[in-house]
Amino acid sequence: MLKNKHDAMAIIFANSYDNEVPSLVNERLMASIPFAGRYRLIDFTLSSLVECGIDNVSIIVKKNYRSLMRHLGSGRPWDLVRKNGGLNIVPPYAEKGIKVYNGRVEAVASIVEFLKACKEQYVFMTDSNIAYNFDFADMIRAHQESGADVTIAYKNEPIPYGFMNLQTTQTTDLYYTFDLDGDKITQINTNSKEYGPQNLSMNLYLIEREKLIAQIERAYAQGHVFYERDVLAPMLGTDKICGYEFKGYSARITDMVSYFDENMKLLNPENLNALFDGFNVYTTVRDDNPARYCSGSKVSNSLIADGCVIEGEVDNCVLFRGVHVGKGTRIKNSIIMQDTEIAGNCDIEYCIMDKEVNVASGKSIRGDKTFPVFVPAYKKIL
Amino acid sequence: MAKEMVAMILAGGQGSRLYALTDKLAKPAVPFGGKYRIIDFPLSNCVNSGIDTVGILTQYQPLVLNEYIGHGQPWDLDRLHGGVHVLPPYQKAQGSDWYKGTANAIYQNLSFLRRYDPEYVIILSGDQICKQDYNDFLEFHKAKGADFSVAVMEVPWDEASRFGLMVTDSDGRISEFQEKPKEPKSNLASMGIYIFNFDVLEKYLEADEANPESSNDFGNDILPALLRDGKKMFAYRFNGYWKDVGTISSLWEANMEVLNPESSGINLFDDDWKIYSRSSGKAAQYIADGAVVDNAMITNGCRIFGNVKHSILFAGVEVEEGAVVEDAVVMGNVKIGAGARVYHCIVGEDAVIGAGAVVGEHPEPGNEKNVATVGPGVKVGKNACVGGTAMVKEDVEEGGKC
Repeated sequence: MLKNKHDAMAIIFANSYDNEVPSLVNERLMASIPFAGRYRLIDFTLSSLVECGIDNVSIIVKKNYRSLMRHLGSGRPWDLVRKNGGLNIVPPYAEKGIKVYNGRVEAVASIVEFLKACKEQYVFMTDSNIAYNFDFADMIRAHQESGADVTIAYKNEPIPYGFMNLQTTQTTDLYYTFDLDGDKITQINTNSKEYGPQNLSMNLYLIEREKLIAQIERAYAQGHVFYERDVLAPMLGTDKICGYEFKGYSARITDMVSYFDENMKLLNPENLNALFDGFNVYTTVRDDNPARYCSGSKVSNSLIADGCVIEGEVDNCVLFRGVHVGKGTRIKNSIIMQDTEIAGNCDIEYCIMDKEVNVASGKSIRGDKTFPVFVPAYKKIL
Repeated sequence: MAKEMVAMILAGGQGSRLYALTDKLAKPAVPFGGKYRIIDFPLSNCVNSGIDTVGILTQYQPLVLNEYIGHGQPWDLDRLHGGVHVLPPYQKAQGSDWYKGTANAIYQNLSFLRRYDPEYVIILSGDQICKQDYNDFLEFHKAKGADFSVAVMEVPWDEASRFGLMVTDSDGRISEFQEKPKEPKSNLASMGIYIFNFDVLEKYLEADEANPESSNDFGNDILPALLRDGKKMFAYRFNGYWKDVGTISSLWEANMEVLNPESSGINLFDDDWKIYSRSSGKAAQYIADGAVVDNAMITNGCRIFGNVKHSILFAGVEVEEGAVVEDAVVMGNVKIGAGARVYHCIVGEDAVIGAGAVVGEHPEPGNEKNVATVGPGVKVGKNACVGGTAMVKEDVEEGGKC
């Protein structure tokens, strides 16, 4: 794929929808949730951005961001160690006068001075709960062709179960669907409960930098919080806001069940290829050895990362880097995160085991398809 | 800034006995062990031993090696002072020379060494698989007050005559060399890893260069001169895993030994002595329903639908349904078509084995050294057959035999 420098920068919101996956973000945030055997969710967005020649990337974090900082480091795996641009992590209190933000308006307001100092013409703003291979360059092209003031990427799909379950009046987690006239958005609906395929926003926006600065300064002065509800929706009558339909493969994490399902969906080679056959996806290098399948092991329909040592049986599983499966152990329909060690003769089904869990020999741990058991990181099951 | 010890890795060799595998790349760049290249071993040993300044002497087909080393980040060798430097032969005010021999290669880069003003220089070979702490070796060298030390392996007496041997006294001081002697007086084989005091190295390299009769080789010229002058030369016994992978069969064998770390002694799963490499950056590997994987090492990006037994698969290998891979070393991005049989062989990077093709065969007992080889990028057509001793450099047409 050609890497042409594009005149755009990006802002990623790393804590998006944290509330919906509480166990997974106990010690991290949405952006650093492990996904697909060896990645963190943010790797997909970062890699697509970089592969599209966008290398000025700000990541706005709110809380629990230590694991993300550790993952990103200086940004080298994504080639984001740049003299101009590169990686810019913005924690709360990074600028004077702004406290922990609630909505996008306050978050972006905290970096307005930075935005003013940048030179790129366009800004992408995006959440971090979707894994995809996204052609940002094509979205710029569509934005220029339509002459839109703002372009929003969406996918035509049913509203996920996790979103449908949100208590509309008791959450700050909002999601949006659009009514479209051609590619022009005529109506923005907040937390719709419609059934069937909807034009569901990916919360990925493209806008000219100067326009964004003006919007945010005005909205912040007026005490607004949510960019879509408070800024974009009122603009519909006067400005041109367009949708950009993403037709590629995407994995959207909206709750624990979707986390489980989206990992499992990758056990279908078609989906796996669809997610990985476009742009390269970069992540931190751990220098693991190749995975070792010992004599007598049995593995089927599973995604296995480097560094795993498998002595037992693994069926319908996603194993992250450095997992050890002892002799006589059987694991089915489970997600086992990095460096978890499962001793011999265990029986494990429908489990999500977070990283560095230790399971002593002979244990039996079973969840259900509709309710996978979650084992928190560093847990010792003795 | 002065460095205590600088490493120089001799990586110029063609490795002609690796045949098609080294047609377009230098031997140290040959892939090994699923995700490594041979040079990862000396480089990682250096870093793990605390050596942060390394020169790599290249000459033959350096493109792949240069690109692979880059600025050394995967080995943590991108440093402000020191780090890794690739040192090809270069043009000087008075003409230019290829490296004439191992000693001449170092001689031509004395100015590189002088920049770091080291006390010691360790000379390493870029074509060996070995996990070794060079710090232990240096401690030995210092404790003996030596001018020169060489790492040696004890080999069985009946095989000793195949090696360059060091005859030593009870203290380890070298009194004589024997190069592949009929009647060995020692069973200590040189590993080709040397530590020199830098002043001694400098003096002898300059004298050697001035001698028109010299072949400019460490083994043939420098070491005998040191011995003649009564320099303090010691042999350092190394007990770990060491293998020269200069031939197809030894390369195959060393890869197979990686599969049995418990008995072979080459353990790549050692968190205390990691071997670093440049990552392929591919997704996790997928083992399909109905695939059989037994006693194998498989790397990121592989897609396995067939049977893989007792084999090493590098990054991005695809094994289609019904294909059987046994006792094989399959390098990066190889495609193995449906129903193909791949036995007891090495398949080079990017090769394509057509559906139903047969590559290699299980050897008769005693003929394990017969290892079929398919060169990098070679296409073996559908239902073609590559015999058990064949070395294939050119594409094999559909149904063809060789």
